[in-house]
Amino acid sequence: MNGPLIVQSDKTLLLEVDHEMADACRRAIAPFAELERAPEHIHTYRVTPLGLWNARAAGHDAEQVVDALVEYSRYPVPHALLVDIAETMDRYGRLTLSKHPAHGLVLTTTDRPVLEEVLKSKRITPLVGARIDPDTVAVHPSERGQIKQTLLKLGWPAEDLAGYVDGEAHPIDLAEDGWALRPYQKQAVENFWHGGSGVVVLPCGAGKTLVGAGAMAQARSTTLILVTNTVSARQWKHELVKRTSLTEDEIGEYSGTRKEIRPVTIATYQVLTTRRKGVYPHLELFDSRDWGLIVYDEVHLLPAPVFKFTADLQARRRLGLTATLVREDGRESDVFSLIGPKRFDAPWKEIEAQGYIAPADCVEVRVNLTESERLAYATAEAEEKYRFCATTATKRKVTEAIVRRFAGQQILVIGQYIDQLDELGEHLGAPVIKGDTSNAQREKLFEAFRQGEISVLVVSKVANFSIDLPEATVAVQVSGTFGSRQEEAQRLGRVLRPKADGHQAHFYSVVARDTLDQDFAAHRQRFLAEQGYAYRIMDADELLAES
Amino acid sequence: MSTEEKSAAPRSLAEALRARDDASLAALLRSRPDLITPVPTDLTQLATRAGTRASVLRALEHLDRFALQTAEALAVAADPATYGELLGLLAGDDPDPVVAGALPRALGVLRTRALVWGGDDRLRLVRTARELLAPSPQHPSPTGLGPTVREATAGMSPGRLQEILAAAGLPSTHDPVSAVAALTGLFTDRTRMAALLADAPADAREVLSRLVWGPPYGQVTHDPAAHLRWLLDRGLLLPTAPGTVVLPREVALHLRAGRAHRTPEPVAPPVTAAAAHRPQVVDATAAGQALAALAMVEELLKEWDEGGPAVLRAGGLSVRDLKRTAVALDVSEPVAAFWVELAYAAGLVASDGEADERYAATPAYDEWRELPAEQRWARLAEAWLLGTRTPGLVGGRDAKDRTLSALGPGLDRSAAPEVRHRVLALLARLPEGAAPDTESLLARLRWERPLRGPRRDETDDLRTRLAHWTLQEAELLGVTGRGALSAPGRALIGAGPAAPEEPAPEDAAGPGDKLPVHRHAPVTLPVLSPAEQAVATAAAARVLGPLLPEPLDHVLLQADLTAVAPGPLERPLAEVLGVLADVESKGGATVYRFTPGSVRRALDAGRTAADLHAFLAAHSRTPVPQPLTYLIDDVARRHGRLRVGAASAYVRCDDDATLGEILADRRAAGLGLRRLAPTVLAAGTDPGTLLDGLRAMGFAPAAESAHGDVLVTRADARRTPPRTAPEPVPDGPPAPDDALLAAAIRAIRAGDLAATAPRKPGPGTAPPAGGEPPRTGAAETLATVQAAVLTGASLWIGYVNAEGAATQRVIAPVRVEGGFVTAYDHTADEVRTYPLHRITGVAELADDAG
Repeated sequence: MNGPLIVQSDKTLLLEVDHEMADACRRAIAPFAELERAPEHIHTYRVTPLGLWNARAAGHDAEQVVDALVEYSRYPVPHALLVDIAETMDRYGRLTLSKHPAHGLVLTTTDRPVLEEVLKSKRITPLVGARIDPDTVAVHPSERGQIKQTLLKLGWPAEDLAGYVDGEAHPIDLAEDGWALRPYQKQAVENFWHGGSGVVVLPCGAGKTLVGAGAMAQARSTTLILVTNTVSARQWKHELVKRTSLTEDEIGEYSGTRKEIRPVTIATYQVLTTRRKGVYPHLELFDSRDWGLIVYDEVHLLPAPVFKFTADLQARRRLGLTATLVREDGRESDVFSLIGPKRFDAPWKEIEAQGYIAPADCVEVRVNLTESERLAYATAEAEEKYRFCATTATKRKVTEAIVRRFAGQQILVIGQYIDQLDELGEHLGAPVIKGDTSNAQREKLFEAFRQGEISVLVVSKVANFSIDLPEATVAVQVSGTFGSRQEEAQRLGRVLRPKADGHQAHFYSVVARDTLDQDFAAHRQRFLAEQGYAYRIMDADELLAES
Repeated sequence: MSTEEKSAAPRSLAEALRARDDASLAALLRSRPDLITPVPTDLTQLATRAGTRASVLRALEHLDRFALQTAEALAVAADPATYGELLGLLAGDDPDPVVAGALPRALGVLRTRALVWGGDDRLRLVRTARELLAPSPQHPSPTGLGPTVREATAGMSPGRLQEILAAAGLPSTHDPVSAVAALTGLFTDRTRMAALLADAPADAREVLSRLVWGPPYGQVTHDPAAHLRWLLDRGLLLPTAPGTVVLPREVALHLRAGRAHRTPEPVAPPVTAAAAHRPQVVDATAAGQALAALAMVEELLKEWDEGGPAVLRAGGLSVRDLKRTAVALDVSEPVAAFWVELAYAAGLVASDGEADERYAATPAYDEWRELPAEQRWARLAEAWLLGTRTPGLVGGRDAKDRTLSALGPGLDRSAAPEVRHRVLALLARLPEGAAPDTESLLARLRWERPLRGPRRDETDDLRTRLAHWTLQEAELLGVTGRGALSAPGRALIGAGPAAPEEPAPEDAAGPGDKLPVHRHAPVTLPVLSPAEQAVATAAAARVLGPLLPEPLDHVLLQADLTAVAPGPLERPLAEVLGVLADVESKGGATVYRFTPGSVRRALDAGRTAADLHAFLAAHSRTPVPQPLTYLIDDVARRHGRLRVGAASAYVRCDDDATLGEILADRRAAGLGLRRLAPTVLAAGTDPGTLLDGLRAMGFAPAAESAHGDVLVTRADARRTPPRTAPEPVPDGPPAPDDALLAAAIRAIRAGDLAATAPRKPGPGTAPPAGGEPPRTGAAETLATVQAAVLTGASLWIGYVNAEGAATQRVIAPVRVEGGFVTAYDHTADEVRTYPLHRITGVAELADDAG
């Protein structure tokens, strides 16, 4: 009884990372517990019903979970918790969705009372058809997604074994010339394909696009790829052309500007969720071809309407790609029921340790407001307060100092307020990318940055998602929206891309002391520290004095 | 028992009792303690009391299922019955060896408890018990048998009887008595009955088979169908009321092959193990849970430290407060109710008794907190084991449909301690580390104490629910771990460290336990005496001590501003950390989170940033992370920049010099003046005093309106006045110990002797008339009493109480001084003091009379 794991009564698991059995323990608990925090000494995992069901879907049983807990736990595991785990896991798979040769889609059970219980629910009744035998009930094929969603809400997640349509075949191969899928990418593709549908969780910069390409090469069929925005769509296209046998002509872009439907089509969430007169005019995209695979990029950002469309696409293979399963809106369960269980997961730190991601040094620089700014801040309207403190003039000086210190390296300055960014751009002599910058201009600037023609780039929110800036080694965040967790992951991802020369990446966030800005920064700090990154806090004076 | 019988068969229960030896009387009194409160004067009175309805009911309720079935069988047998008849009723025509083997024990139990008396040839059920158990239309017997032929034909016309005889193929008789006898004789004769029934129409046999296991009553119309008529004609069904017929007992017994019960249950169902864990795992789990229990109680009282929830007018905790507490403790409401009730039962929390009544910790809590962990646990566990309060009832409704609230009235269930003890005792008999199969455990408990009367829904009676709660609560407390009894739990109930071979602790345990039944002194006490329990509790604490993890003196600090204590912390460390950081997660380890708020709290508590840095450095296994250091400095930087103080009055003056003058003046010393700013002085006295003082110094101050008075109150931890823990409300008197039993028996015997045997004339005293209190002179009284103090003998005294009523008592004098006798009064069962002058006479107990 001297294991590395401590099981807490709130179902968190504390793992002592320096313990000799820590690695073995981590492997044992990873299938069912979500890593919640990974600071330097003790990692926190959480056991949730979804996590347990993910484990069940991956073929683990309650016995293994209980054994893992009991074996590695330092203190005796509360009996009630073990019972709870066993009971929760036991709920998965009591109901199965499958194809019946005569009746089409059916819901079968191994435990009749469960079926009776769910059939009594008012929310299930409209989704099912005739009772075929005591253990089987017909399900309207169109409700395959809906029923899975509802059953999950009732606490009886159904296993979907109804299979998939093959879709229209289209030859796709990986063009592995001079490069190859990394072992974990291969594993991810394999797990996904074996599981049918599901989500692959990989950190930013770990090559999610390649996992998508790998899955397409497996499927060898027409593919619909949903991405967050146009820039990201272009990047996918670029990457696919480079890494697979696909040519430019085979890949279509379906966005606000272009409406091409080709064997591989990349569409943005934005265009899909555009509403005109109460209807979604671009929905026919889903039916425009017999898609064999649908890829969802950045699943954690998937907008709610897309879930609704996805519910109708349950007969097609679905691959979700994301850096984190945590959704700000708490719709993790919809991801589970509509896209599929988690099929692959690798903690950031582990991939980083394998040398694919540069370690980052995170520094928070605290600047003092001047006396007049403090007064203005104190008297500002509530909704104006954040703007006041986030755009204090001192931040400019600090930013300049940082840029000076890292002169010659690729530096990104990220912010929320256009005025502030414009001003910074002017002072730093750097181009600014913001919402009204045209896509062509954006790509031109990004390319120039990539080539090292410009070394400092000032970007606003719009640059946050799915752009690829491989050579950025320093990021300076001068203002940001409300310390959202996923935004943080994105921003850090910008500077975490592998560097050619093994340079250490730096992430600076400049915050105003004793203000809202600092409170938001505290969230940020916590998140980064929880991800295991070294985090320091500096005073602006210290930094200015150094440079 | 029959060996103790004298040559002449006893004619009454009293005589049967008189014939019993002391050990057997002690067994009776031990099993039915209500018989000696108060101590009866003689055996006749004892026998009378043993036959009262209340006492018999109580005795019947304490029988195990087979003993009860035996009593039920006796109630439907002839009175008196022979052992053979009884065996026939229980085992049927072809005796089941298991039943035959179990019967002597069951009969022994009934005899011990004075429910049955008489030798094996003349077994008699006490009349009251017979009345209670015999079948009647109002109270159907669990046997499902109807009245006898004689009872059922009581109002029948002689002519009709003769008709029945004729139909049944019997010769006619002269009178109804012999007719009934002839009919009974036919019905009890298996061969002739078989022949008679062989002719019965199939429909008629079907009717009989429907009635045979009861209820024996059926409805018929005025013009019954042919097959019913066939039965009625032969007396196989007898009319009881218009339209109602009954199957006579003898016929039913014939059809049942002589058995009174469909399923005799001679053997206690064994408790089976559902799972076996390693004993170390069980003990470790239990120890972990024990620690969690302590933490829970402490957290509860910390929550209530500055004024707990209000007491409802009807007593107890409101539903909302319970909910709030449950949320604060992060447990479900029933579990929260359990902890609250546990703290209450242990005397750690009580109502403060003030006008605005609230719950608060008692002073005992402060003492408890200082105890080592194992002793704290032992106190809780003992309070739980012995308490009659049942938290499981909270949230339910009482008979008047009022909600039962935690800490409120109506939660006492006298059966609770006994059930708890019994459940644990059954667990103790499983092999170490074995968790019981709950259903088998419940079945066993139901066998040991069945519900009387026809079988009801047995899953919902109080004892079953109590047993369920016991299992849950034992797990919460760490008395069990993973369902199996832990070593401390075993010690708590006084069971040996691991003795599955131990003989049954209660005679109710059936022979099904396959254990040699040691019956020389059957231990019928399910619950230990207070002294024994104290020893057992101390033993439990000793066993628990080494199982608890050693408290740690260090934590791990991390850059995300958390500290993880990978185990229980030493108390001082835990207390400081509790102030400096917020607890985020509990369990085996504790996760603390540092926030600006928590650091400020520590600074408010008088610590400095340097203190905190030193504290963290001293107790951290890892380097203190830079963000944490920064956080403390950052909070400290701002801490105390604004100052707040209390002033009762102030002096304002535009002229600095005047204020300087006032401050310098010696007469101002008592005014508590302090300069806050060049033109403002703050004063510690109220404005009136200040004005007077300044005037006395020769100034002419003017008062300003006194809005700015600041009153500072410090919140203090609330405590009730000293409170005692609630007394358990036991069911009936406490089980007597051996000394008391011996004394009581001696007293009864003495009284009995006094009442029944002629007395030798004492020297110089008139022999008291039979049963009358003795009369002796004052001198002899004193001498006898003093002699009794030396010899420790018990005396029989006549005594006139303060109201002038003459009584007689049996006392064991302890000392004589100042005209008073201090003595243990067997009659009242307590130590009392008697003025010598009120004692009308004494007599030594003739305990050796024979």
